[in-house]
Amino acid sequence: MGTSPSQMEPGPPKIVEAALTILLPPQCRESVLGDLHERFVSRRQYIGNAILTVPLVILSQVRRVTDAGLLLLEAMALYLSFCVSARFCNGGIFLGAPNVYLRVALPVLAALIALMLADGYTRAEHRAIKGPAAAFSAIWLQFVMTAHSADWAVPVQVVLFASCAGIGTVVALRAVRPGQQPDHWRGLRRFAWMQSKSPM
Amino acid sequence: MARPDSLGQFEQLVLTAILNLRDQAYGVTIHAKVEELAKPKAVSLGAVYVTLDRLEDKGLISSWLSDPTPERGGRSKRCYRLEALGERALQDSAVTAQRIWETVAEAWGKETGLWGHRRPKWNPARPK
Repeated sequence: MGTSPSQMEPGPPKIVEAALTILLPPQCRESVLGDLHERFVSRRQYIGNAILTVPLVILSQVRRVTDAGLLLLEAMALYLSFCVSARFCNGGIFLGAPNVYLRVALPVLAALIALMLADGYTRAEHRAIKGPAAAFSAIWLQFVMTAHSADWAVPVQVVLFASCAGIGTVVALRAVRPGQQPDHWRGLRRFAWMQSKSPM
Repeated sequence: MARPDSLGQFEQLVLTAILNLRDQAYGVTIHAKVEELAKPKAVSLGAVYVTLDRLEDKGLISSWLSDPTPERGGRSKRCYRLEALGERALQDSAVTAQRIWETVAEAWGKETGLWGHRRPKWNPARPK
């Protein structure tokens, strides 16, 4: 037997919709929220659908906007800046600590994840600044989280010098190689420019 | 990067759904059609979105936002259309699938009939 309209749940829970609005990248927010709303049957089904859908949408968006070549250059620049700072800050005392090259890899990893996520959530024209800003925050967040760990802490001078030098290099790399947009966007823009130039 | 003409099975299903739905091809309808084509396999909406993004990056389909509608909470649909490259890729895949089916039917023998409902069980060690 069907459910009468009075028994049917009115719509998706507002709080879940608000959370999804924050979680979904702006490029696909409107269409994904609309599709989930259209498929709404019950609150439980809606939440289940959202849990299965949203992570894949985020990963797909990150994959679309990530320039693998640029990311590799950024990883190398950040890691090199940490290694150089470890060598020169405090007379290189930190280099004698155990697992030093693994320790400095952690903030680099945090910065790269932040860069990829920030790119996924940011429009192409803002990526040159917002991505590096997120990476800078991630390095310092990672520093605060591991500051009390004897095995993973990195001296503040090393983090300070490396984050400034590394993020500066990332900004410079993005200015030189701004290839952040997928090919089909570039294609569409080129097509639009050709249309505006044509006499028709 | 994958060549635009090399399609996976799921990509073929999504392209077929878009071709079939024409002007009504958007997330929910494409998912429903793909689920119908892929029966009895269950298909998640997220997997359909990922594939649509990949196909768009390959230039096989294009998308645009429609006007908002009340049944979607006042939100727009992202509609999809097959591009010429996508049609060609799908046609190539269909020709290959047809060739595979003809070879399989020939190997199984004509006693069951090409479209007969008494299809023999899959057995790689089947004697000739």
